[in-house]
Amino acid sequence: MNKRILFLFSLVLMLSGAFSQSIEFEKDNFPGKKEELKVARKQLDVGMEFYFQGRKEFDDFRKSLMSDKVLPVSTRDYLHVGYENFKSAQSPLMDAQRFNPKNAKLNYMLGFVRFFDSPSSKEALSFFSDAYRLDPEVEQDLPYWLGWCYQLNVNWDDAIKYYNIYLGRLNQKPKSFAIEIEDVQKKIGECNSGKTLSAKPERVFVDNLGPAVNTQYPEYSPAITADEETVIFTARRDNSTGGKKDADAGFYEDLYISTKTNGKWQPSKLLSKNVNTENHDASAGLSPDGSKLFVYRHSGKDGGDLYESTLFGIDWEAPVHMNKNINTKFHESSVSLSFDGKRIYFVSDKSGGFGDRDIYYSDMDIKGEWGLSKNAGIDINTKYGEEGVFMHPDGKTMYFSSQGHNTMGGYDIFMSTLENGKWSKPVNLGYPINGPDDDVFFVVSGSGNRAYFSSAKQGGYGDKDIYKITFLGPEKEPLLSTEDQLLAMIANPISNLKTEAAVEIKTAKLTILKGVVTDAKTNAVLEATIDLIDNDKNEVLATFKSNSATGKYLVTLPSGKNYGIAVKREGYLFHSENFNLPDNADYQEFTKDVALKKIEVGSTIVLRNIFFDFDKATIRPESANELDRLIKLLNDNPTVKIELGSHTDSKGSDEYNMKLSDNRSKSVVDYLINKGISAGRLVAKGYGETKPIDTNDTDAGRQNNRRTEFKILEK
Amino acid sequence: MRLYLLVFFLGAFFISTAQDTVKVNTNITPDEQAQQHYNDGIIALNKGEGQVAADLFSKSIALKPDFDKAYYNRCVAFTMVRNYPSAMSDINKVLSNGPNNIDARFAKAMVFFGQGQKDSTNRWLDNTLGIGKHAEAYYYKGIMSYQAGDYNEAIKDYSGAIEIKPDYAYAYNDRASSKRAINDLTGAIADYEKALSLNPSFVFIYNNLGSVYRVSKNYDKAIEYYTKAMNAKPEYLLALNNRGAAKLESGKLEDAKKDFEDVLKKDPKNSSAFNNLASVALKQKDYKKAKDMANKAIELNANNGGAYFNRGIARQMLHEEEGSCADWKKASDLGVTAAKTFMNSDCN
Repeated sequence: MNKRILFLFSLVLMLSGAFSQSIEFEKDNFPGKKEELKVARKQLDVGMEFYFQGRKEFDDFRKSLMSDKVLPVSTRDYLHVGYENFKSAQSPLMDAQRFNPKNAKLNYMLGFVRFFDSPSSKEALSFFSDAYRLDPEVEQDLPYWLGWCYQLNVNWDDAIKYYNIYLGRLNQKPKSFAIEIEDVQKKIGECNSGKTLSAKPERVFVDNLGPAVNTQYPEYSPAITADEETVIFTARRDNSTGGKKDADAGFYEDLYISTKTNGKWQPSKLLSKNVNTENHDASAGLSPDGSKLFVYRHSGKDGGDLYESTLFGIDWEAPVHMNKNINTKFHESSVSLSFDGKRIYFVSDKSGGFGDRDIYYSDMDIKGEWGLSKNAGIDINTKYGEEGVFMHPDGKTMYFSSQGHNTMGGYDIFMSTLENGKWSKPVNLGYPINGPDDDVFFVVSGSGNRAYFSSAKQGGYGDKDIYKITFLGPEKEPLLSTEDQLLAMIANPISNLKTEAAVEIKTAKLTILKGVVTDAKTNAVLEATIDLIDNDKNEVLATFKSNSATGKYLVTLPSGKNYGIAVKREGYLFHSENFNLPDNADYQEFTKDVALKKIEVGSTIVLRNIFFDFDKATIRPESANELDRLIKLLNDNPTVKIELGSHTDSKGSDEYNMKLSDNRSKSVVDYLINKGISAGRLVAKGYGETKPIDTNDTDAGRQNNRRTEFKILEK
Repeated sequence: MRLYLLVFFLGAFFISTAQDTVKVNTNITPDEQAQQHYNDGIIALNKGEGQVAADLFSKSIALKPDFDKAYYNRCVAFTMVRNYPSAMSDINKVLSNGPNNIDARFAKAMVFFGQGQKDSTNRWLDNTLGIGKHAEAYYYKGIMSYQAGDYNEAIKDYSGAIEIKPDYAYAYNDRASSKRAINDLTGAIADYEKALSLNPSFVFIYNNLGSVYRVSKNYDKAIEYYTKAMNAKPEYLLALNNRGAAKLESGKLEDAKKDFEDVLKKDPKNSSAFNNLASVALKQKDYKKAKDMANKAIELNANNGGAYFNRGIARQMLHEEEGSCADWKKASDLGVTAAKTFMNSDCN
């Protein structure tokens, strides 16, 4: 490191405090801590020297990449450039930072060092964030790295905010910064994709394959058989063949294998010695049936080539270098064989592509050799890198990683299907399958329900681990237990069968009339004649007598007739009753004591069997028997003069009732005259409703009140 | 006339012997006794006492072997108590004496219906309708068509019943259900409402109407009608369960949960309510609780396919993949078609 540059930088560090909250390593800022300050400044100088050396390597590499007019999209594209110096810078810079945590430049350097050691670490974000808070202007590109840290920590809004700040600074620069501007604009686009995709996360389980597969060392690039019973992957473990280490202190890559027994992965072990060598040997792909293994090896100036090994019995044969249609002087990696073994897809950064690494394919010729390779086309490949191609055994679905399309950052995994010879627009598999960091080497099970990939996410066994993704699909709607009673007959069963009606039982339905006949004045029991008359037919049905000793009588009246009852005895007025019994009249008993009145002036009797038409004075025919009995009485007693009185109930007006009763009494008198009774013996009298003998509030009472009476006026 | 003379004779006898007490003749003929048993049988039938009725009709027939009406009514009684062989014997006797007795033809169809003999039921319903109009015959043809999944034919049949009997609330309800089945939700709502106007006491129609509104995603109306059903009959828990379902589907998870819990307060062994609580828990992403609730639902009803289905979802989310697939398999076996879809998509 040039001492002069270091001095100038230190000077800037000290002076910058005049414009910010940053605290410089000045003795005035640390009174009484002269010795501690001295130690801290020494550590700062040591750390800065390493930092600037690493930073120079980094900046030089970045400039070299810019010759391709594109800036690295993924942190891994920086290939650990400056790693050793950055690593050496960390400890002294941290010592200085512990003494003075409020120096913006120091925090910036620590952020940078941590970022390239662990890009998504919270420490890197914290250092950059502190640097920006202490002095936003401390470094021109500070908002860029701070924005990237926020992006890698899935804080899309803050990432966009700081990228825009940096974009504002770039826009004030000359046109030569166009590549940087494009780079920031792409990252802002990635954050917008991230916002959109993470707003609707995919429903997946992400499960570590467990300690049988993963260790404290890096495990990655899984290849899996279609039945998911065998996984072959790359690891950089301490038992690596040859035990060599890279500059970043990682062991050389070897291939490992694990198989599943009773659903559980068995402890992984190094793949055959035929496959693993003392150099880097990495998994590049496995045929769906698990019989062909593709291996990536890098030796000399071949840029990294692909080899093919075949499973022979239980061992893998020595990998064979694939032909010139596959391998070039450029970098070839990641292979996937079609389900029928007739086509191979692979990744190469050879010239003539759309930019950086592209996906190519080659068909097997009739000799069994791979033919000329063809680019998979602009629908798949972008100006950025594509990697980790995996062709699903269904023969038409390709999974691959890309830094282009709508990635959320770095490589994201996409899916495209081959329809009518054309690849569909690649679909981002979404969050959290993809995130802002690199998501590569993704293989899908034959069922399509699970996938395997490697990740350095927290919670694993150390460094990168291999994980299984279980796709859960759209949220499953629960099934409610509901119940309806859609058919009424089931909800509320009733018999729809009509029943035949009840029958009339032909048993005698009777009314029994009983009582005692007495003399009205003396109360002496009397033997009397009782006529039972069918009023409708005007015929006497039967004649009975009351008991001479007790005066008792009993008459049975079958239902279904209008009965007239006449109780008679020589020298007495007859007594009249009426029983109109319909067919359905049930059994009933009446007790009716009859007090016969002598034929003498003032005696009255009610003629119960004289009937008129409704509301008229017309005598109905069924009155004949009663009237005949009255005529006989008058004929037997020729000196008797009587009044025929007619009465109504209280329904209707007084005047109306009076007129009706008057007319009815006259009708009876007219009848008797027509039958030969002298008009001089007869007086017609209408009483209307003036002389009730019962209540008018009931039907029975009103019926009693509607009556024809005769009274002996003279004898 | 002979009967009257007998009565008069008895009356005269009583008078002549001057008895102080009245005696009524209780000696009735076998015919009269048969008629009395027959009438008593009808009373029992109207009370829903089928076996008592059948016994009384049998006594009636024993006294009067040519009593056709008693055979017919005994067939009705036997049908009521599901003694179909005896019912068939009786109705065949009635038909042998009167093959064009339309009610007897319908009764024979009902005997077949009771035995689940679809073809014979349909044939005798057609035989009934072949000799006259019979609303109930059309109604049952509607039921047969509905149960056969021929909803358009069912609608025609129920319409036939309604044409003959315009106040046939059952036919309106069932026609509404048929319309619902062919997704004519507007027509279904109109018919259910008509059925309710004809008989507002049929609680199940309120529930059915609520369910059409729920299917229509008119959750406010659905909840309104389920509530009416419950107000009319508080022990009608299926409406309360359904109301909870409407609330759940409208996103009111806590309200739904309360309804399901209320069902369980009244009926602690209600498997459906437990399964619905499992559904609420699934929606709330409380998978452990969902599994517990589904477990209870299954304990109470081992044939609750929905509970297996829901437990499968819960177990999947609890990372119990094998258990979830076993549950979906069981649910599928129990007729839950969606479970088979999950098996195909998630269990390979």
